[in-house]
Amino acid sequence: MKTKMFACLALLAACGFSLIVLADNHEEEDMNKLVFPEAYKVEAVANGGKISGVVKFDGEVPEKKKLAINKDQAVCDAVAKFDESLVVGDGNVLKNTIVYLMDITKGKDFDAEAKKPELDQKECRFDPHVQIVPVGIVLTVLNSDKATHNVHIFGTKKNNTSVNKQQPKTRKKMRLSREGVAKKAEGPIEVKCDIHGWMKAWIAYVPHPYFAVTNEKGEFTLEDVPPGTYKLGYWHEVCGTNNKAPVTVKVEAGGEVKQEFTLKVEETK
Amino acid sequence: MRIRNFTLLLLILGLFFILPFVHAQGATEAQNIAEGKKVYDNSCAHCHGIEGRGDGSAAENLLPQPRDFTRGLYKIRSTESGQLPTDQDLFDIITEGMPGSSMPEWETALDADERWQVVAYIKTFYEGFKESETLPKEISLKGKIPYSKESIEIGKELYTQFACYECHGDEGRGDGTSAPTLTDEWDYKSWPANLHQNWNYRGGNDIDDIYKRFVGGIAGSAMPMFEDPAFGLSIEEAQRYTQLDNKGEMTDAEEEEYTQLEDKMANAFDILDLINAGEGDEEQKKFYEESMKTFYEKSWHLANYVKSLSPEKRPEAAIGKNSLRSQYVEDELPPMDDAVWDTLEESYFPLVGQVIIEPRQFNPTIDSVSVKSFYNDTEVAFLFIWDDRTHNTAEEENEDIGKTYEDAIAIQFPVKIPKGPTSPKPYFLWGGKLAVYLWQWQASAPEKTTELTAKGINNATEQEFQGDIETESAYSKGQYKLWVKRALETDDKKDLQLKPGVFVPIAFSLWDGANGDVGTKRVISSWYSFVLEPVPSVKRFIYPPIVALLSLGLLIGLRGFMQRRNTE
Amino acid sequence: MKKPSLFTICFAIFIVCWVFLRFFVGGVISKPIPNSVIAMYMALVFIAILVHISVEDTRFREFLRPIHETLVDENRQTRRLVFAVLIPLLMLGFTYTNIAKKANPPGDPRTVHPTPPDNLTYKDIVLGTMDEAENPHRHLEKDDPEAYKSHVENGRTVYYQNCFYCHGDHLDGKGHFADALNPLPANFQDPGVLPNFSESFFFWRISKGGPGMPAAGTPWNSAMPIWENYLTQDEIWDVILFLSDYTGYKPRTFGEGH
Repeated sequence: MKTKMFACLALLAACGFSLIVLADNHEEEDMNKLVFPEAYKVEAVANGGKISGVVKFDGEVPEKKKLAINKDQAVCDAVAKFDESLVVGDGNVLKNTIVYLMDITKGKDFDAEAKKPELDQKECRFDPHVQIVPVGIVLTVLNSDKATHNVHIFGTKKNNTSVNKQQPKTRKKMRLSREGVAKKAEGPIEVKCDIHGWMKAWIAYVPHPYFAVTNEKGEFTLEDVPPGTYKLGYWHEVCGTNNKAPVTVKVEAGGEVKQEFTLKVEETK
Repeated sequence: MRIRNFTLLLLILGLFFILPFVHAQGATEAQNIAEGKKVYDNSCAHCHGIEGRGDGSAAENLLPQPRDFTRGLYKIRSTESGQLPTDQDLFDIITEGMPGSSMPEWETALDADERWQVVAYIKTFYEGFKESETLPKEISLKGKIPYSKESIEIGKELYTQFACYECHGDEGRGDGTSAPTLTDEWDYKSWPANLHQNWNYRGGNDIDDIYKRFVGGIAGSAMPMFEDPAFGLSIEEAQRYTQLDNKGEMTDAEEEEYTQLEDKMANAFDILDLINAGEGDEEQKKFYEESMKTFYEKSWHLANYVKSLSPEKRPEAAIGKNSLRSQYVEDELPPMDDAVWDTLEESYFPLVGQVIIEPRQFNPTIDSVSVKSFYNDTEVAFLFIWDDRTHNTAEEENEDIGKTYEDAIAIQFPVKIPKGPTSPKPYFLWGGKLAVYLWQWQASAPEKTTELTAKGINNATEQEFQGDIETESAYSKGQYKLWVKRALETDDKKDLQLKPGVFVPIAFSLWDGANGDVGTKRVISSWYSFVLEPVPSVKRFIYPPIVALLSLGLLIGLRGFMQRRNTE
Repeated sequence: MKKPSLFTICFAIFIVCWVFLRFFVGGVISKPIPNSVIAMYMALVFIAILVHISVEDTRFREFLRPIHETLVDENRQTRRLVFAVLIPLLMLGFTYTNIAKKANPPGDPRTVHPTPPDNLTYKDIVLGTMDEAENPHRHLEKDDPEAYKSHVENGRTVYYQNCFYCHGDHLDGKGHFADALNPLPANFQDPGVLPNFSESFFFWRISKGGPGMPAAGTPWNSAMPIWENYLTQDEIWDVILFLSDYTGYKPRTFGEGH
């Protein structure tokens, strides 16, 4: 009996230890990336709640930086282009922030639209600037320009999906079914067009649909959330994440939770 | 007897074939990895890091940076885009090294077993090697098109169609409009290859190597996997499409033809997407196969064209009999654009980063400078030619590549020509105790050459009396040309005085402003020599006939002597 | 078939020897041999032939017979004519090419390993005479192998941060900068380098670089930096330990007799 207990204790200790090790690894991985649950189960959500709110920017709003367009001016410079790493709207609202549930393990499926993600290259700019792509779903890249682009999605340790494909102006639509399908959740990952060095975007490969990207008004909405308590996280290109101190929200059946975030530019970045 | 020999031969041959398998299976994977670690730690870790992250102690000053093995991103592969390299790829890179980078060949330092062990070990840094269930798909070299003039011509058109010029420039010197902003995935500056200097191609310069880079891309760099811009069109149709596309106005008939071609491509791209997704019916599959065949053909033509841009091998340095020899002309010296310059062979001076005095240049971007020269009774003219991907004429703050400076060149001579081989020369880096005489040209003043005297790299002064050095220059398609003309002899004691037949030490300093070159940070050469090649002496027409006549006389004399002796 | 004359045989031997040296030895087996060396060997062949034919009077006469025939025999009219044209023509061409040959620049008569000064210095600090100064870490090889190893490792780091650009990853003088240098960087894998000099000699060459050499070493041509401006004394001694550890060659020590 005693020996059994001892064994159990040892086992527990080992588990604890390995957990610590795992956590350590996690910590090391990257504080600037999204956090995902280990597994996610799709099931029907009845009478789910809603989380919505606004993301605001705290700090001196930098002047809009006009991008230097050094080539293909006829196509690329028809409309003035600005750096999109920090887009602050009236009332200090922050665009292009991902707000998401970090630890949800079951809930709704992606809707039909989310399963057809499209990244457009229009007037030498990626649209959208931050793109959510479900894991295992094919990304379609459009070229609306009369110019050659190259879609360069950076490689990562997890997926090794460094995709770099030229998209000639004759090819309006390109499905990255072979190269651009992520097997694992991760991100956001940098996307670039090397031919037009200023063209940058971000892609997040996600395992569940509770991700929102803030619009011009800084608004986000997560709907059909099964009742429960969740960690609410955010990610922004310049302002970073709240991985260290996520907000805890309690969603009640049919209820709505309002949450406002105020982000600052990280000093270390 | 014959039969026995034959069996023996077969046996030996058979052994050779079996050997690789025995070798592969003889040692277990674990043993290989353990052995590989030893070799790796001793030979590779100082650049690639103990943990394979490309962060060894020597990595700091290297560009391209040593490969980070934990990312599983390998630039030089024989596999398709997005795939891991084969073991053979890794083995080949270790064996042959990567020209134009700091990765040397390891064939001389490690035996084949050791190199295979290293391959086994570096694969452990990235889990993807273990996880991938299927072998990486290799690029097929089937349907290779032989190197020929016709193929090069077709390739040349495809170079434009495939938009290679965006980065590599109109003539391929890596001077495309996108070149200054290119970075790799590690956010390091990377320059597109200068296709006229294929001795710097990291993955080798065979036509097969070039072809693989098109089809597979260079992972982690800006070089994409190629997409046929006219997929589904034949080479002729593609040519026609480009022709129409470049036309300002089209007739109705042309308009219709154009739309048809566009539809055909759109349709073909749809089929391509289907097949890539593993869909599509038999007919579509057949169409896809056909179109891919055309695409591969095009890629071979393109590879042939790219191959044709470089000389067959790197030119030999201007040492010994290759020394720079100024050719005599009786008349006026030819100006910069005179076609007569093309009749002269270039003297090639390889250059190296200045790593002797801070601030140093560890990653030079200028490979070499080529020089030609003519002289007449009173003057000498030089034509200096070098490749530089960017034309920088001033100090500027550049968001993408940091601060840039103006491009420049300085040509260095001693003030006094050494009397004999043992008499001292000035220090090759702009002199020391003995002074050097310099011609300095800067891109901001394209028609001016300044005379300097220097007694050290940081101790140069403009000469008080600036002599008359006529200067012309041009920058075009990634290449500088500088033409200077000066009197052979001047009144200034600080100037170099030139006489035909005397070998004069010469050396170079060049600055690529876009690469941060300024001051001591530059590319340099060691001392070479040049000579005003003396007009061949008239003696060459006098002595040989005399010798010929003498020898004939000798023959006749000998015959006479023999005859006389016979009759005696 | 008529037996070839002695002259033909000798002539054939001469030609075969030349072809063998010029194309087989100097092509298939090794790099091309300089013409002066070929000339030397051919002179030997010539003398050997001469000795062979002049040993006996009859043999000498037999050898001369075809020459004699060609010169005087009535039946050899055409052959004679051919030679009368060919020989002066050859002489004409030979003299012309020799006179018109381009001069090559003077070579640099350079002492590869010049004589060091009497005293070993680092910056202005005198470390002892060249014969006495020793690597202060060398004794650790016996006394404290662990400490010795860490010095070698430190030397490795110093080497790959500073030296390998020119002297190469394999210490063979073939770094990626070496191509454009003249003279070429030292090759430490050459058995004639490390074992022939003392550690103090290498310390001197490293710390003072190219410009520190006497005139015989053509200091103006060497791209070797003055490393005492960048490296500490310990770093220089450590890198010397690394050179010998990596290559397996030990620098010479005094007292072992030289």
